[in-house]
Amino acid sequence: MAVSIIDLCVNCFACEPVCPSHAISEAKPHFMVDPKKCTECEGDFPVFQCASICPIEGAILDSFGVAINPPGSLTGIPPEKMAEAMAELQSH
Amino acid sequence: MQLPVLNNTPSQAEHGAKGGCSASSCGTTDNQMDSLPDSIREKVQNHPCYSEDAHHYFARMHVAVAPACNIQCHYCNRKYDCANESRPGVVSELLTPDQAVKKTMAVAATIPQMTVLGIAGPGDPLANPERTFETFRRLSEEAPDIKLCVSTNGLALPDAVEELSKHNIDHVTITINTVDPEIGAKIYPWIFWNNKRIKGIKGAKILIEQQQKGLEMLIAKGILVKVNSVMIPGVNDQHLAEVSRVVKSKGAFLHNVMPLIAEAEHGTFYGVMGQRGPTPDELQDLQDSCSGDMNMMRHCRQCRADAVGLLGEDRGDEFTLDKIEEMDIDYQAAMEKRKVIHQAIQEEMDSKRLEKAVKAQQHQQEPKLTTRPVLMAVATSGQGVINVHFGHAKEFLIYEASPEGVRFISHRKADQYCGGDSTCGDGESVLQLTIRALAGCEAVLCSKVGYEPWEMLEAAGIAPNGEHAMEPIEDAVMAVYKEMAAAGKLDEKNEAVRANA
Repeated sequence: MAVSIIDLCVNCFACEPVCPSHAISEAKPHFMVDPKKCTECEGDFPVFQCASICPIEGAILDSFGVAINPPGSLTGIPPEKMAEAMAELQSH
Repeated sequence: MQLPVLNNTPSQAEHGAKGGCSASSCGTTDNQMDSLPDSIREKVQNHPCYSEDAHHYFARMHVAVAPACNIQCHYCNRKYDCANESRPGVVSELLTPDQAVKKTMAVAATIPQMTVLGIAGPGDPLANPERTFETFRRLSEEAPDIKLCVSTNGLALPDAVEELSKHNIDHVTITINTVDPEIGAKIYPWIFWNNKRIKGIKGAKILIEQQQKGLEMLIAKGILVKVNSVMIPGVNDQHLAEVSRVVKSKGAFLHNVMPLIAEAEHGTFYGVMGQRGPTPDELQDLQDSCSGDMNMMRHCRQCRADAVGLLGEDRGDEFTLDKIEEMDIDYQAAMEKRKVIHQAIQEEMDSKRLEKAVKAQQHQQEPKLTTRPVLMAVATSGQGVINVHFGHAKEFLIYEASPEGVRFISHRKADQYCGGDSTCGDGESVLQLTIRALAGCEAVLCSKVGYEPWEMLEAAGIAPNGEHAMEPIEDAVMAVYKEMAAAGKLDEKNEAVRANA
């Protein structure tokens, strides 16, 4: 039972100090969760602390490998709108 | 402690020895600080971010030690890092406090005009208290001749006030975009507070309360507070006059309204959703109503969280981590040198300020013209003179000349931020884009103007002028204004000026 940080991470440091188990550390190319230390905040908080402050959708996965913050959930940008804007930019 | 606020003193300005001029900035832009009490004026008059003339002489830098943020703003995208971009929240290289101290001292030794060190992100400085305060603590001790500033979204501010008051920090900037939680919910999708992500109105309400509480606590400690607001048309534009009233009544000495920067390629909510930024005239109207006579921040460049140099320039490339590693800085020696240079600059600024004050007096004695106001663009690289070739100008300063005198209005970028391409989208050349950026201006003053741009400027109704090279900006603008007035060019009401300005 542990969350994981994947390569969408932008290394903003926000999660590291809020982890109650000190399971998160700065690493290359991005921050990492030590699965042996991660408790998924059980006993400390009702919600994942790292995923509650992380600004990047999809950067933190739960133990099933599912994004805790799915596309659109943090920025409020509907995913199809984002895809549209990116396609528009790439066509130039 | 109740600090006097800018807009509370109109009667003084009107009834002072101003010879019937209703604007306290009459004649030149530099009397803009006249209504500030001496204690505040002393602190801000040589600060490149606050003083329009000081920014031509003194430089500032930001160190990017604060990556984490505790809120999300719809104009920010934490994924973005592009060396060609210049806007808040963008940096290329994150620094540890130790690296930041080294970099600051390296810059201070190399660019002795650098007087101000700010921590502005790329996240929120106070959401990274250890890194931010470690940097401030060490700089207060090791480089005591540098002024320290910090800017914050305010969420963690109340807890940081005590620590802030211990260092060499006399200015704090709080970004306050609203005092209404319903409007706040349209700007801030979430905050991280008490171990929870809180969305919508509830989150915005907490943020607003913390900002206001932090503001009050700073004022009570005697720390100068500037408030920044991002003007977002249709969201908070109508509301910012109220924000201005509230923050000034609590003692903020300055309210700086900045335009929203939103492009789809930034990947921000506002950029992707097509939220537009304000037009220059919308911005100017709001700035006029929020700042009153004190147009102290019109030269604000909304710089990057790792900017280095004079406003409008960025010399960050000279001070990358590997380069500062190789520098061997003797800061004691540097401080001596800096002191001498600062004194020389101070003397030059004082004499120029005096000169301007005398000229402003003379101007008031002259018979008052009765023209409409006119906007002019000026190409300068600093020192308060016209010294840049039209084709080399990366930005233009916009001045207004009117019967009241000459006043600085704003700056406009000449080149597209993505710079690499000579044509963009609809096939406009860089020159066409530059001329379009000058819309509303009726003259452009440069050290030289080439043949091709000369013709295109004339065709666009903007008179090119290379006759005032190396002359002080205000004098040159006044001279051109008088010529235009004498030639009868300013008799008619020019509706286009205001519409496009």
